[in-house]
Amino acid sequence: MLQAVGLSHSFGERQALAGVDMTVRPGVLTGLLGPNGAGKTTLIRALLGVIQPDAGRVLQDGSPVTFEHRRRWGYMPQERGLYPAMPAGEQLVHMARLHGLSRRDAESRACALLAELGLGDRWTDRTDKLSGGMQQRLQLGAALVHDPEVVVLDEPFAGLDPVAVDDLSTMLRDRVGTGRTVVFSSHQLDLVQDLCEEIVMVDHGRAVLEGPVATLRAESGRRQLRLGLAPEATRDWLARFSDVRVVEDLADGVRLDLPPQVEALAVLDAARAAGPVTDFGLDLPTLSQLFLAAVEDGQVERTSAGAA
Amino acid sequence: MDGGTWWSGTRLVAGRALKEGFSSRSWRVVTALMLLLGLAVVVVPRLIGEREVTYRLATVGETDAGLAAPLEAAAGAGGFEVDFVAVADAQAAELAVRDGDADVAVAGTGADTTLYVRSDNFSTFPALVSQAVLAQATTASLVGAGLSPAQVAAIQATPPPEQISVGRVADEGRAAVGFVVGIILYLALILTGTTIAAAVALEKSTRISEVLLAVLRPTQLLVGTVLGVGVLGLTQIAAIAVPAGIGVATGTDLDLPPSATGDIVLGVAWFVLGLLLYAFVFAALATLVEKVTEVNTATLPVNVVLIGSYVLAVTVTVRDPNSWASVASSLFPLSAPLVMPVRWASGLVPVWQLALAMGLVAATAVGLALLASRIYARGLTLSGRRVRLREVLTD
Repeated sequence: MLQAVGLSHSFGERQALAGVDMTVRPGVLTGLLGPNGAGKTTLIRALLGVIQPDAGRVLQDGSPVTFEHRRRWGYMPQERGLYPAMPAGEQLVHMARLHGLSRRDAESRACALLAELGLGDRWTDRTDKLSGGMQQRLQLGAALVHDPEVVVLDEPFAGLDPVAVDDLSTMLRDRVGTGRTVVFSSHQLDLVQDLCEEIVMVDHGRAVLEGPVATLRAESGRRQLRLGLAPEATRDWLARFSDVRVVEDLADGVRLDLPPQVEALAVLDAARAAGPVTDFGLDLPTLSQLFLAAVEDGQVERTSAGAA
Repeated sequence: MDGGTWWSGTRLVAGRALKEGFSSRSWRVVTALMLLLGLAVVVVPRLIGEREVTYRLATVGETDAGLAAPLEAAAGAGGFEVDFVAVADAQAAELAVRDGDADVAVAGTGADTTLYVRSDNFSTFPALVSQAVLAQATTASLVGAGLSPAQVAAIQATPPPEQISVGRVADEGRAAVGFVVGIILYLALILTGTTIAAAVALEKSTRISEVLLAVLRPTQLLVGTVLGVGVLGLTQIAAIAVPAGIGVATGTDLDLPPSATGDIVLGVAWFVLGLLLYAFVFAALATLVEKVTEVNTATLPVNVVLIGSYVLAVTVTVRDPNSWASVASSLFPLSAPLVMPVRWASGLVPVWQLALAMGLVAATAVGLALLASRIYARGLTLSGRRVRLREVLTD
């Protein structure tokens, strides 16, 4: 288990991290989400020890992370870091050896991984002669070649086409499936909504939301009920549900915002009693919506804290 | 972490830099040129060489032994040969000189002796002949005055006054070696330093440093890079110094004292010292860049020091190795690696000054390396813009 406790870091006047707590469990694909400039990259660099945070600790299985721990981690930075003139195969061998593998192990792992990445015939090709997509895959290979216990990827999905997103998702799920600890960052919240099992959302250097995606969405109290109604159907029955807010009211139906205490089925029954329901669906909030709600809550809290 | 692990990571970094260098075309070309230059120093003088200077002296009739003996002796000491040509009379002697069949011709005896010399002959040979004629005449006069041959010999045995070189170089040929060593040292240090800076700037601008810093300590990366590129530079220096040094030590055709080999060996030692002094600074300054193209601006301060030291060495020190400016700059650690080797080749430097300069450079190198590793560690992690030196020092 990988934990960040109270991480704070400033660049001059600007505070990039303001006491972030975060937990990543092995076998659970975890997303570190937030808008650009939220502090994701700084958090990742602090986890990896690339920068020394001003305050806070990074723990692995409860003990402070040392350099020796990190040698068994894999890291893929946001901007791709590969030696342009180096052949693809050697690139992976070099990274594997830096992580402590013997030359023979490094070569066999690099060979297997290049094949898995679909670059099996590119061993001797110079890195800068590979296409952009191939370089991205090679970069991922550099982070995975030593079969790390912990994999940290900074914006791995940025700039990928849908097929590549799918391939990368599969590779990450495979690693998680074997009990590895995998965390990646993304600002494309809805793109990775179905991929991560747990998320940590950060904004302005703080964690604003944390937990399993399914639970967060279900318990957000921000479910929306979509009802398709006949054109002439009345909306009078809605008056019985004072807590329900109408988000959208169109000629062929309504979209309702349901607070936690209101049961969706009760609303559906009331609608059916009043007239025919042509279509219906319960939409859980998207991660973007959760994020916006969390940020609003945070602002309310901060404002009230300031007033008190 | 134990020392072995520190070293194994550092070795991997250095090995990668070495491998990349060895396989790069520009490195191969420069090294081949260096090797050719080193071989040329040895081979070319031998090819065009064998140019034993031979002077021809024309005399009327067989050359008198009293004239020939001192000239042969001078030839042996001066590294040239004298051929004697017999001509019929004074007119033939003059013609021989005019037509280039002889360098100098002597006609007549005693006070009536005439020396024929071509108007374009500026060698010392005419003076030597003149001296020999004079000595022969003096001997004759002394014998005529009643001195015994033993007395004459005693008078002529008076040794010439001892010559001591003052102020200037002790040996022109050796000083020339110093001059060449200075040029090569300068080029090699600039080239190696720039290569280190470019490697560091590339790692930073491509964010390879991000990945590396997650698995290596900054000192491993810094020392490994300096070591790898430094060995590349040392190989180039060896390519020129080894053949040249062996050539000077064994090849008498070069007209250089064997001590010049010592100057070449010392030049290699100064390369290593200079590299230790400047390389870490090159690497540290290169971390301040955001783009690779900014690396020349970033490393300007250390380049200025190198260029200034070099200019001082080849303008002031070569001409006057013991002026106060030469002495001071050959001891001042930042300029010593380029000035001292040039000054040392003048043959007028006390050994304690050489030792002092080397000690000061080594101590300064350690201090600068420590400072540089701080700048390096901070500079690498500040990305997204050009970093100011003040920023990394005041934190």
